[in-house]
Amino acid sequence: MNINLKELTISKAHESLKNREFSVRDLVDAYLDVIKEKNSDINAYLEVYNDIDDQVKIAEEMFKNGTVTLMTGIPIAIKDNMLCVGHIASASSKILGGYTATYDAGVIRQLKDQGVVILGRTNMDEFAMGSSTETSAYGNTKNPLDTSCVPGGSSGGSVSAVAMNAALVSLGSDTGGSIRQPASFTGLVGLKPTYGTVSRSGIISMASSLDQVGPIGKNVEDVEILFNSINGYDKLDSTCIPIENRKILNSPMTKRLGVPREFLSGEGIDKDVLENFEKSCEKLKKQGYEIIDVSLPLIKYSLAVYYILMPAEVSSNLARYDGIRYGLSVEADKLFDVYSKTRGRGFGKEVRRRLLLGTYILSYGYYDAYYNSAIKVRSAIKNELANIFLSVDAIITPTAPCLPFKFNEKTKDPIAMYMSDLFTVPANIAEIPAISIPSGLSEKGLPYGLHIMAPFLREDILFSIGKDFEK
Amino acid sequence: MQLEDVKKLANLARIDMDEVEMTEIAKDFDSILAYVSQVQEASKLIENVTQTEQRVLINVMREDVILNTPGEYTEKILKNAPKTEDGFLKVKQIL
Repeated sequence: MNINLKELTISKAHESLKNREFSVRDLVDAYLDVIKEKNSDINAYLEVYNDIDDQVKIAEEMFKNGTVTLMTGIPIAIKDNMLCVGHIASASSKILGGYTATYDAGVIRQLKDQGVVILGRTNMDEFAMGSSTETSAYGNTKNPLDTSCVPGGSSGGSVSAVAMNAALVSLGSDTGGSIRQPASFTGLVGLKPTYGTVSRSGIISMASSLDQVGPIGKNVEDVEILFNSINGYDKLDSTCIPIENRKILNSPMTKRLGVPREFLSGEGIDKDVLENFEKSCEKLKKQGYEIIDVSLPLIKYSLAVYYILMPAEVSSNLARYDGIRYGLSVEADKLFDVYSKTRGRGFGKEVRRRLLLGTYILSYGYYDAYYNSAIKVRSAIKNELANIFLSVDAIITPTAPCLPFKFNEKTKDPIAMYMSDLFTVPANIAEIPAISIPSGLSEKGLPYGLHIMAPFLREDILFSIGKDFEK
Repeated sequence: MQLEDVKKLANLARIDMDEVEMTEIAKDFDSILAYVSQVQEASKLIENVTQTEQRVLINVMREDVILNTPGEYTEKILKNAPKTEDGFLKVKQIL
């Protein structure tokens, strides 16, 4: 059975499955063949699940019964921080190397209900801390577009799986840009939904006030379909927004887009990235959009706010890994040493650094200067963006300040690595939805991305602009 | 930041580390903290923020009743534990 995976979309696959042009089995086997051929080189998947046959049967049964959704039988890859009962979920850390999930994450339950075939779990930066997937305890993942480059991160395995056609779509998680930056680095579309639209239950937490699960795919339509299939209320996530509270004023689009000019003139942004961005603006103008300059004086503080709140939340969230209840446990005479030796050996270098940074930020005497200031600035940034959306439909910038970089290029300088999230972090800080869409290739064939932020709960605006941009 | 400060933090965070790494962290922290200190300058620029809340934060409560049969998940959960005895987690003496 020869299926053109490169051109395949969810809608096309669904039509073909419905019309019996190919079966779920054929489709899944086509992806498994690619995994067999390419994964040992790319290292997108850490594990291919051993229960795929059972999942295929369930999906095929649904086609016989006629109880299908668009997602039934669609092969998907999930990030290694999502619990899928009976399978290992390690967050690419040694401390969870042997941890088997005892329940399904909210999003996994939703996928299973729709008969989605989960092929396996993908590599990531350890506990999602990184922008290149190089902090994984299980080796680097290569960028399928240029194997000498990183795929971005932290959802590097999830994007590489789709980019090398080893899954039709995938799920990632995004705390400061971990879906959008790697999607940009691999020429894909990646969405960070509004905070609270997708369940975080069963997702291994990094920074709970910023984490959100989202879809990755080859085009806007696939990302929209996958988003619709995981979007919903989950009573097991207390920050999930009840459906009755999601009523929004569906004001018609003005087709006016804002560009925060002074934010784009900061340090550390590559010239060719800015040139590509100007081309994207021209393209949007041809599609009938008006591009106007907007002033967002506080947005430049987003990354500093992020590097206070995130490590603070990380230091509290990761306190649970103590070698007592699950995961790695290192033998010692005293209980204190069991804790410290387990955590010292189980966590990688970047995780250890952020744990100490968070501990410092939250310690007595510094809490006010850092944490409380950051909370205050976060609120002000939220307000600033909410106000600007009264005059524009969306804010556009590049997704990343640079093209995909080489392995080890930025590992020695934490601030340089942290700069990767410059344009993506504000959406997490403000809890609003944002998407990255491919915007062309460099001379060397490396991909650029256009980043679009929309008001709270207005994913529809992102999809609409995104589809116009794809034309 | 001094090595002694990092040692104290490592102790508080319960992370065993060697001195080479702690010295490196002390150096990294100087540049990271210099960068994030911008928020103090920014927070001075901001008058009292009147939050136009997009999302109403609510406490999510449920009745305090047992929803599963006792012991339903015990075996599954303990299977992940490093050391157990008679259905309990086993830890080093703490007193």
